[in-house]
Amino acid sequence: MLLFEFEGKTLFKKCGIQIPKSQLIEPESQRVTIKPPLVLKAQVLSGKRADAGGIIKVEEQVEIQGKLVEIFSKTINGEKVERVLVEEMVEIEKEYYLSFSYSTEVRGPILTFTENGGTGIEEKGAKSFPVDILKGFHGENVPEKLKDTALKLWEVFTKYDCELAEINPLVVDKQGKAWALDSKVILDDDADFRREEKFPERNLFGRAPTGREIEARKIDEGDHRGTAGSVYWDLEGDIAVIAAGGGGSIVNMDALLAFGGKPANYTEHSGNPPREKLKKLTKIVLSKPGLKGCWFVGGTANFTDIYETLMGFVEGLREIKPKPDYSIVIRRGGPRDKEAFEVLSEIGKKEGFDFHIFGRETPMTSTAKIMVDLAYGNTSN
Amino acid sequence: MAILVTEKTKILVQGITGKEGSKVALQMQNYGTKVLAGVTPGKGGQEVHGVPVYNTVAEALENHPGINTSFVAVPNFTAFGAIKEAVEAQIALINILTEHIPIQDTAKAIALAKEAGVRIVGPSSIGIISPGIGKVGSIGGDDPRGVFRKGSVGVISKSGGMASEVSWILTQTGMGQSTVIGIGGDILEGSSFVDLLEEFEKDPQTESVVIFGEIGGTYEEEAAEFIKSGNPSTRSARSGPRFTKPVVAFISGLFAETLPQGTKLGHAGAIVYGEKGSYKSKIKALEEAGVKIAKTPDEIPELLKNT
Repeated sequence: MLLFEFEGKTLFKKCGIQIPKSQLIEPESQRVTIKPPLVLKAQVLSGKRADAGGIIKVEEQVEIQGKLVEIFSKTINGEKVERVLVEEMVEIEKEYYLSFSYSTEVRGPILTFTENGGTGIEEKGAKSFPVDILKGFHGENVPEKLKDTALKLWEVFTKYDCELAEINPLVVDKQGKAWALDSKVILDDDADFRREEKFPERNLFGRAPTGREIEARKIDEGDHRGTAGSVYWDLEGDIAVIAAGGGGSIVNMDALLAFGGKPANYTEHSGNPPREKLKKLTKIVLSKPGLKGCWFVGGTANFTDIYETLMGFVEGLREIKPKPDYSIVIRRGGPRDKEAFEVLSEIGKKEGFDFHIFGRETPMTSTAKIMVDLAYGNTSN
Repeated sequence: MAILVTEKTKILVQGITGKEGSKVALQMQNYGTKVLAGVTPGKGGQEVHGVPVYNTVAEALENHPGINTSFVAVPNFTAFGAIKEAVEAQIALINILTEHIPIQDTAKAIALAKEAGVRIVGPSSIGIISPGIGKVGSIGGDDPRGVFRKGSVGVISKSGGMASEVSWILTQTGMGQSTVIGIGGDILEGSSFVDLLEEFEKDPQTESVVIFGEIGGTYEEEAAEFIKSGNPSTRSARSGPRFTKPVVAFISGLFAETLPQGTKLGHAGAIVYGEKGSYKSKIKALEEAGVKIAKTPDEIPELLKNT
């Protein structure tokens, strides 16, 4: 989970990293108690916030109200400003970049540091150094005056199970004191079970999660048998997708886009989820208005019971009102697939669903084209 | 001969009394793989499918010194402790099925394994199968015979489902597999493409290799560098092992790049920030190394025939 600046800074503070005196304004009508000179900072998740006008300096008391109205009226990279962090201005002597993250190249944590902080650090020749996770970080590869902050940032990184803990800029003032002027923290969701600090759900699309997204993510709660819907995103298209497998689902989404299909959603199920989970997921996916097709697609499963998952799909399908009249393309392989297909084609005939059923002999991605042609009335083949 | 899983493979199942552990133990036995013992703390003395259960890995090893492979199927919050036990017992191959292990724990486990000189495959690994010889993990499910067939193509995949799907596509066209490995789709993995290409290079049964990669991370780019080392037209002066066999690759994730950066999809590792780990970067690196790129998985057999 990517944290907002003010959330990341609460973790920094707990580990003793120095941050400017600040106040979170939410809602807009709240009174600013910090005295100028100060900085108003839009609390948004997207990067390059400064370039998009999300940071405003205020020198005089009389300017505060006007500038506050201005910043609250903004949309930063598609994200509406709903909270503003007000901070005392720090006199900057020098800016640095400092972060801890995980690197696939060293297959462990790395420290990234550069003498030139600010935006666009990728181009500023930042250097990365592997950190021995068994021995821990002891202040290597940073200048003496930043060592203390670096040690504290390592504490943030490990104590709160972060994927990234970044200070950019990390500044030193005229007195030689180090300050974290910004924070970027990505928490490792897989460690949620042991982290006491909880943060509310947010959405990377710069909008509140949709009702379907919220409902889909509830399916797996308290039921560890396989997974269905814990990753679900509403998209703008009209072909509903119920894909199987973390890897296979992406392969199929790639294929759907390549053939000109417009997916209405992305979701996946895997690890042999029970029938009820598929029923719930199907009801959520197909509740979307304006659908032109439904694609239930997956590779050749290792252990997911195809009969159970497809029966779950049918149970969900039966509850959709009005009854779907669009084409439903099914491609799947794996345990009990033949049994599932027999029952399915009977149900299709008897109950009047436009099923197009394909097994493991039909290439998975080729059914993307079949789906697109059926959905968009392309009858050329 | 195959790699990692051979006739000599003797397995310990950590988490054998759990649902996945017991199911997979039976699958491995049915496929003719020797499962010598299981471990679940506090359940020592029980039996699962005729396999004795011990409280600790050390205890299992004392009674079954032939164990050379551990299959880990424990919950994510106990995974690090379980892996540490296996590493400390110097078990040569540790295959981890467990998903959602905190990345910090995975990093520690990988570091410990490196120090001890043992190999981890996983986390989030579907397993390893050497068709006709044996399997570790849930790869192939109850009946791998329908999908996998003995042959000369090595398969390395970040996706478990696609490991099977690719193998099935190969089998249908009469191309068997030497060993198929699901390395897992997490950010940090115990064995990368390069680690396994090194093994395939040494294996006389393997004549070519298929890589199923995804956006995110650098494992595909590293594989490209390694493959380059053995390609006569791109060979560099670098020393050390070279890879000389033909490789076909498929990379997925173009769809993911249409979403805002940092959006989580099915695999934790399939996440891109900036240019690094992007589809373009991977395809470019692999093509430069002389790897043939399949646009759909079904093209793989044809491309292999022409290598």
